[in-house]
Amino acid sequence: MMKFLLLAFRNVFRNRRRTVMTLLMVGGGVAGLLMVGGFFAFMFRGLRESTIHNGLGHIQIFNAEHFQRDEVHVLDTGISNWRQVAASVRSTSHVRDVAPRIEFYGMLSNGQKSSVFMGSAVDPDTERAMGFSPRLASGRDLATNSNGEVEALVGTGVARSMSVKVGDGLTILAVTADGALNGLDVQIVGIVNTGFKDLDDRYLRITLPSAQRLLQSDRVTNLVVGLDKTENTDAVAAAIAPRLSGLSQQMTLKKWIDLAAYYKQVRSLFSGIFLFLGIIVFFMVLMASINTLLMAMMERTREIGTMLAMGTPRPWIVALFMLEATVTGALGAAVGVIAGNLLGVALNASGLHLPPPPGLSVEMSFRVLHVPALMIGSSILVIVSLALASIVPAIRASRLQIAEALAHV
Amino acid sequence: MHTTDALVRVEQVTRTFPLDHSAVTALDGLDLAVTAGEFLAISGPSGSGKSTLLNLIGCIDKPTSGRILIEGVDTSRLSPAQTSVLRREKIGFVFQTFNLIPVFTAGENVEYPLLVQGFSSTERRKRVAEALENVGLSARAHHRPDLLSGGERQRVAVARAIVHRPSLVLADEPTANLDTRNATQLIDLMRDLNRTLGLTFIFSTHDQRLLEHTPRIVRLTDGRIISDNHPERNRHDEVLAACVS
Repeated sequence: MMKFLLLAFRNVFRNRRRTVMTLLMVGGGVAGLLMVGGFFAFMFRGLRESTIHNGLGHIQIFNAEHFQRDEVHVLDTGISNWRQVAASVRSTSHVRDVAPRIEFYGMLSNGQKSSVFMGSAVDPDTERAMGFSPRLASGRDLATNSNGEVEALVGTGVARSMSVKVGDGLTILAVTADGALNGLDVQIVGIVNTGFKDLDDRYLRITLPSAQRLLQSDRVTNLVVGLDKTENTDAVAAAIAPRLSGLSQQMTLKKWIDLAAYYKQVRSLFSGIFLFLGIIVFFMVLMASINTLLMAMMERTREIGTMLAMGTPRPWIVALFMLEATVTGALGAAVGVIAGNLLGVALNASGLHLPPPPGLSVEMSFRVLHVPALMIGSSILVIVSLALASIVPAIRASRLQIAEALAHV
Repeated sequence: MHTTDALVRVEQVTRTFPLDHSAVTALDGLDLAVTAGEFLAISGPSGSGKSTLLNLIGCIDKPTSGRILIEGVDTSRLSPAQTSVLRREKIGFVFQTFNLIPVFTAGENVEYPLLVQGFSSTERRKRVAEALENVGLSARAHHRPDLLSGGERQRVAVARAIVHRPSLVLADEPTANLDTRNATQLIDLMRDLNRTLGLTFIFSTHDQRLLEHTPRIVRLTDGRIISDNHPERNRHDEVLAACVS
């Protein structure tokens, strides 16, 4: 069998110019897939980390009822014993910290104009410790101990629509946990640009004690768990789950991927685009290779006739052609992986930037990640393409009439 | 005609090839018997049917009618796979244009039939060495065909044809692409292998140099045998003539 493989390998380099052209074509396809796939992977990673660090966290812990029924009043399904839960989770390895949060809604007013907001109340020190600091366009982050003023951060869209800036005041109106209406005067200490325009138009953030005072409750909506690395999410979730059982409230945890609907949509869309590109490359390699392999078969008609005359089983001829195509595919894949990675390094070093994509307000840096799974996948794709492309020439070769093949000029 | 113990028996074989709306008859009701150990030349002008007859004996073509028996086996009754096995085990081929595999060395080319037959690597090495020694090319075993002269290439082809110890070696115009010196060397080599190893050679040729060394010459014209100087038949005819007289 080694001799047969040797024959296939030597046949690949028989017509060097044609082999080089085939390798360039196959390698180009692989390199192209690595570039596009590597950029998409970078985009996915960037989106994942920005989604997590914009406040989603790696894991969120809720009262189980939160997903079983709608709240009648705010914090109806909140966590009451959150300090105990947070302390238990905080001791798990890879957990950087646990931040309590309150999600609430209400109205903002500057005295002349009102607007709806989506508010979140946080413990600023813990959020900062976990790296969940908001992206400030101006001003500063919330302070835990302010001088009697209730501090607030608003989104760029809110600031624009309410015509306010850092240092200005606003009034927040919200329904309390008892169903009454309550108000709170806040001072804007910072303007936030989340990167998502829709969110910036409704964004409000205050400290946890301020929100509890506004909402008249000591509960929190959820606990946000920050980890040292996103890759540890599954392991930590598995470690936390047992600690949440046996508490007075039944708890449930959600991993970031369960809550990141936008991330999943974007990933699904771009994965579809990548699949389409993969199909194009597959057919490009398939069609070009069929032609090349048919030419190779025609050139070797007499040799195939000789091999058949010497009693070579016809399936061997099929196997030989398919083996040659597979060897070509493997070499082309190697060329493509090397070229793709070198191009990726060069592009990453160039510091290119792209304009903000739809729905985002900041420009993206253009980087290509080196993804081993992508290299393996692209290589398999072209090897399979070439193996499939060789079927027609291989079968034709194996069906040659020996006498005619030997007389072929 | 002596047909008992025949290695090859051609019985009433006709081969026609379709050509537009008509048909060309390459062989026309041909009978021939070849016994083991013979050194037989098929001669005749171009288009007389020499190559067609060799192709039919070599089982790389099928007769339109009639049958061909090799070691008593009717080849027309064999399946394609059985025919392939018969060619692999019983027949060695030498072609006019050598037809060596260009990416293999001389040794690897000689090894190829053994590879197809599934011989062990030890046995392959031994037989390749023997075959190359038989044709005087042991020193050229690692050379690729493009580094060999025409005569050397044809000797490699002969080594390839005999390495698996076939019953029959078929050679189609083996000296046609060789100069006189190489042609003479090849003729001597084939005759020597015929005598020392007892190999049966059937070859087509109109090379007079080769015919001079050939004890039996079958001459074809228009697909028919016009003469066959079979030594035994000649002796038989002489005895018969003496008895009659």
